[in-house]
Amino acid sequence: MAEKFEYYDPKTVKELCKTLDEVGSKTKILAGGTDLIVEMRAGIKKPAGVIDVKKIKELKGIDFDAKKGLRIGSCVTCNELGRNPVIEKKYSILAECAESIASYALRNRATIAGNLCNASPCADMAPGLLVLGALITIVSSSGEKTIKLSDFFTGVKKTVLQPNEFVKEIIIPAEKANSKCKYMKQKRIKGHDLSMVSVAMAVKDKITVAIGSAYITPVVLPEFAKSTKVEKIIEAALSVVKPITDIRSSKEYRLHIIGVYIKRLYEQLVK
Amino acid sequence: MFENIDKEDLKYVGKGVERVDGLEKCTGDALYASDLFLQGMLFAKVKTSPYASARIKKIDVSKAAALPGVRSVLTGAELNYRVGLYIVDKYILAKGIVRHQGEAVAAVAADTEDIAKRAVELIEVEYEELNPVLDPVKALDKDSPLVHPDLGKYSFVEAAFTPKPGTNIANHTKLRKGDVEKGFKESDYIFEREYANPSVQHVPMETHVSIAQWQTGDKITIWTSAQSPFTVRNLFCYSFGISHKNVRVIVPYVGGGFGGKAGIALEPLVACLSKKAGGKPVKLQATREEEFNLLACRSALKYRIKTGVKKDGKIVAQKMTMFWDSGAYADYAVNVTRASGYSAGGPYEIPNAWLDAYTIYTNKVYGTAYRGFGHVEFFWGLERHFEYIADNLKIDPLKFRLINTLKPGGKTLTGETIHHHTGNVTKCLELVAKSINYGKKTPEEIKREKKNKTIIGKGLSALHKAPAMPPFTGTVVILKMNEDGSIIANLSLTDYGAGTYTSIAQIIAEQLKMSVDRIKVAVETDTDRDPYDWQTVASKGLIMSGNAAILASQDLLDKMYDMASQILRCGKCDLRHDNEKVFVVHAPERFVNYKEMAVGYAYSNGNGIGGPLIGVGRYMAAGLTNLDKETGQGNPALDWTYGAHAVIVELDPETGEYSLIKSASAFDAGKVINTKAARGQCIGGFIQGYGTAACEGYIYNNKGQLMNPSFTDNKIPTAKDIPEQMDLFFVETAQLDGPYGARGIGEHSMIGVAPAIGNALKNMTGIELLHMPIRAEDVWKAMSDLKMKKNKK
Amino acid sequence: MKTITFKINGSKYSKDVEEHKTLLRFLREDLHLTGTKEGCGAGECGACIVLVNGAPVNSCLMLAVEIDGSEVTTIEGVSKNGQPNSLQKAFEKHHAVQCGFCTPGMILTATDLLKRKPKPTEAEIKEAIEGNFCRCTGYVQIIEAIKDASGQLKSTEE
Repeated sequence: MAEKFEYYDPKTVKELCKTLDEVGSKTKILAGGTDLIVEMRAGIKKPAGVIDVKKIKELKGIDFDAKKGLRIGSCVTCNELGRNPVIEKKYSILAECAESIASYALRNRATIAGNLCNASPCADMAPGLLVLGALITIVSSSGEKTIKLSDFFTGVKKTVLQPNEFVKEIIIPAEKANSKCKYMKQKRIKGHDLSMVSVAMAVKDKITVAIGSAYITPVVLPEFAKSTKVEKIIEAALSVVKPITDIRSSKEYRLHIIGVYIKRLYEQLVK
Repeated sequence: MFENIDKEDLKYVGKGVERVDGLEKCTGDALYASDLFLQGMLFAKVKTSPYASARIKKIDVSKAAALPGVRSVLTGAELNYRVGLYIVDKYILAKGIVRHQGEAVAAVAADTEDIAKRAVELIEVEYEELNPVLDPVKALDKDSPLVHPDLGKYSFVEAAFTPKPGTNIANHTKLRKGDVEKGFKESDYIFEREYANPSVQHVPMETHVSIAQWQTGDKITIWTSAQSPFTVRNLFCYSFGISHKNVRVIVPYVGGGFGGKAGIALEPLVACLSKKAGGKPVKLQATREEEFNLLACRSALKYRIKTGVKKDGKIVAQKMTMFWDSGAYADYAVNVTRASGYSAGGPYEIPNAWLDAYTIYTNKVYGTAYRGFGHVEFFWGLERHFEYIADNLKIDPLKFRLINTLKPGGKTLTGETIHHHTGNVTKCLELVAKSINYGKKTPEEIKREKKNKTIIGKGLSALHKAPAMPPFTGTVVILKMNEDGSIIANLSLTDYGAGTYTSIAQIIAEQLKMSVDRIKVAVETDTDRDPYDWQTVASKGLIMSGNAAILASQDLLDKMYDMASQILRCGKCDLRHDNEKVFVVHAPERFVNYKEMAVGYAYSNGNGIGGPLIGVGRYMAAGLTNLDKETGQGNPALDWTYGAHAVIVELDPETGEYSLIKSASAFDAGKVINTKAARGQCIGGFIQGYGTAACEGYIYNNKGQLMNPSFTDNKIPTAKDIPEQMDLFFVETAQLDGPYGARGIGEHSMIGVAPAIGNALKNMTGIELLHMPIRAEDVWKAMSDLKMKKNKK
Repeated sequence: MKTITFKINGSKYSKDVEEHKTLLRFLREDLHLTGTKEGCGAGECGACIVLVNGAPVNSCLMLAVEIDGSEVTTIEGVSKNGQPNSLQKAFEKHHAVQCGFCTPGMILTATDLLKRKPKPTEAEIKEAIEGNFCRCTGYVQIIEAIKDASGQLKSTEE
């Protein structure tokens, strides 16, 4: 990075709100930095400052409450999520998603909220969180609001976040705990790679399917009854997604893989 | 040389001696060119062209030059120097015309890298975009735009190359053996197909980096991450018209090369920036992205093969046409064309052969040497083609190959006679076939298919390669004995990873009969201090420098014996040496220690004799010739290393994804000098070959812009991508003029990987892939197409 | 400029650092610890991996200011009293090193792995070093070296 910038490191949510009010429009939030610094190095982003949110205790931690469900602080790293016993037991798909991101060292830095806020169609956390009906808590100096994760993404690299807002935490409703679920990610190599296409499925009372890299945002399909035939689910999926042909994959192949993955997930989780 | 030495007697040669450079590399102490920060050093950045072909209408550097901390700014307009290895066709910075996206049009040196980067952003370039030449075959059309309209004015190496002015042909290599048309007439069947592969990036972990200081009086020092210090110096001096004595090239540890650092690259540019900045040292390190398109790549190839065969599988005639996409400049690509041209038939007897190989200029990243030097590319086609022929003849593909392999008494495409000691490709093929249970499925494999819902298939390929080098290539090793009797070896072959220095140390230890721990091969090479070596390329390092090391050891011994015969008062013929002593053969209690003679022997009264010990070994390739330009006949090969690959592939038939359950490689290494280093070369090469086969390659858009110049979209294999099991076999048919019988294996390990996988996929599904890389999507698509074709029938 | 206090390889430092400087550049340019290498600058290759508070991170994607109050281990801090440690010895012995450019990052990644999992399986080794590109070795001898350093190599495999 050749361009100089300011470095802010608020210690509390309150301080963060204040900093964002003052400089939010010309700065970027720095969490793990695994997307932001890459883009700054490439000159795609040239913020006047970065706001390091990792020193804010309120943004950390993973808590489970039988009534309220699961809370994941926005600064929780992929590896913290991956090795958390509650996640492993009750929401294993989130560990799968987290551990499918990049490589081990990168996952020591990459955060869950960072993966979402970067809003790439191939964000690996998104399908897993979407099938669990995740909610996302957005905070600014004017207050706190909780919205559905499915309403968070608005386009490629775009979210509803305003310059003075930040993501405080992610909530998974308690009723989604212990769903049977799994994440499948198509890559070009066995080693770390972005997804060419990915599918998550959760099965409890209903079947929920979410798909990555096949639309301008990660998408979640309307819930299906457990008796739904797999062909119907595939049909529904293919009517929603609009994959593109790019250097990673053709549209046709992406569509094909979505079908294969839904079928395989269905065989494992529903049958 | 010394093929008569009994293997049992060898103490160091043939053992898995630890690397001489291992520890420094494990502690961070090893300094690479990128690690050097010199006093007063400036940092450079380049402005590159976004267009594949354009006229530079205007470059405004005023804002960049005015930025505080900027010390020199250069554009092509100021630099009238052209550089080139075989054809001198490349300006240091694009002058008037840019010929590929990523080509440097201006450069800045500044106090810091940040300032240089900002300055480059301030440079304004006005281009007139031109119609780029992108398809190498269309580039041969009469009405194609010319990438180098001045081709006729360039100087070039006339003994080896044939550029065609007024066309995009940088070189046309011809080969004519026997009567190919007659051969086709005599054939029962004729098979013809075309095979292709894209350009590929070497991906050394250390990107190209050079530092240069151009001092008053045209005294220039260059520190660079390069494979061949003397070639850097020679080409540099040629371009600038400066005496070789004025230019010093220093190569510290090199973080990988694979051919990409074989020639000259950033050195002239940083030198010019230094000169303009008043002689301060200037450093330029390519970013990973620049490594893909500012620096060179492996050339893309279209290979058309037409083969005439008899019913019994015997090849009668073969016509081969190679279209090498050289990109914007000729660099090594013309020689890749020449070398692959004379090898293009593989390790097979082809009585009637006709080859036309063209190096073609296009507006893409330019091609250079890459591990295998053309052989990875054309063997993809050749070994897929032979599989295709065997299938159609309904002959087992292994048997088809064995029928046609070159055997003693056979003739290569250039008319060279094969001897018993040339090597044994048949044995290599048999070893790998056996290792994978070729041609059948084991019960375990059938069980595994059921369990994993996969298909398992097997494929193999044969390969050969000789060093591609001028017929008159030479090298030197100098041994200096230290006061304590230990040895320092100097040579300018660089060891950028292969482990050759360790093998050289073993050879010296064996010759001098002293512990290998007492021998240091000096890592940093310096053209002012070290003796000449042409280049570190072509898998010729061990054979040439190994021989020079033997000769240097013998020279050193000869001088020690001279001294010892005086000291011990006997004839030299009665002397022997062992354990750092020279002794009288029939009275071993009469001896003198090496260290007593190291800097000259001193008698007790103070008289001295001899002088400091030094041994010099000069080795010259012998008996090689230029090839006849019309027929390609002659003797180009220092040695031929034969080999074979085989793979067991597991395929997910629904997605097209595949992985390797097992690989087997066999090479006729002549003699393995270091078992662990040889294994490292063979495994490392195989995985690099797997990358080429499965996931790597340049992707251009229709404007000639490279779409994947980074690790994000140019994946290379990781630890998770390697086969579950990797078998390795060495055949040891001694090379009579190789050190202890050894020949090179550095490149061979990656040559046949892709076709072995392609053949395995064909064997299990019937799909005929003609293009590398073989991505999961390609397999899926080919399987779908095949299914559709069958359904139609 | 920001003043930061940190420990590197056991030594305490207080330094001024420009906010936009990555940890990688800070180590190499300001502290002259050039054992940490840059392979891509984009978090893909692992040549720049160092341990921050014991955990491997890609130093090319971390700002130097972020190490304020932290403890960093680079390859220069691995050997003790001038002697290579067991991983370094194993890498040397097994020819797990060729050009050596990926080696510092690879050894630090392996150091963390063996701390987390003293007897890692082959799959766990691969998982750990997946983010460390090596273009030379094909990984096999690296995996063997890590196995050996964790006391898991039968003598026949050596």
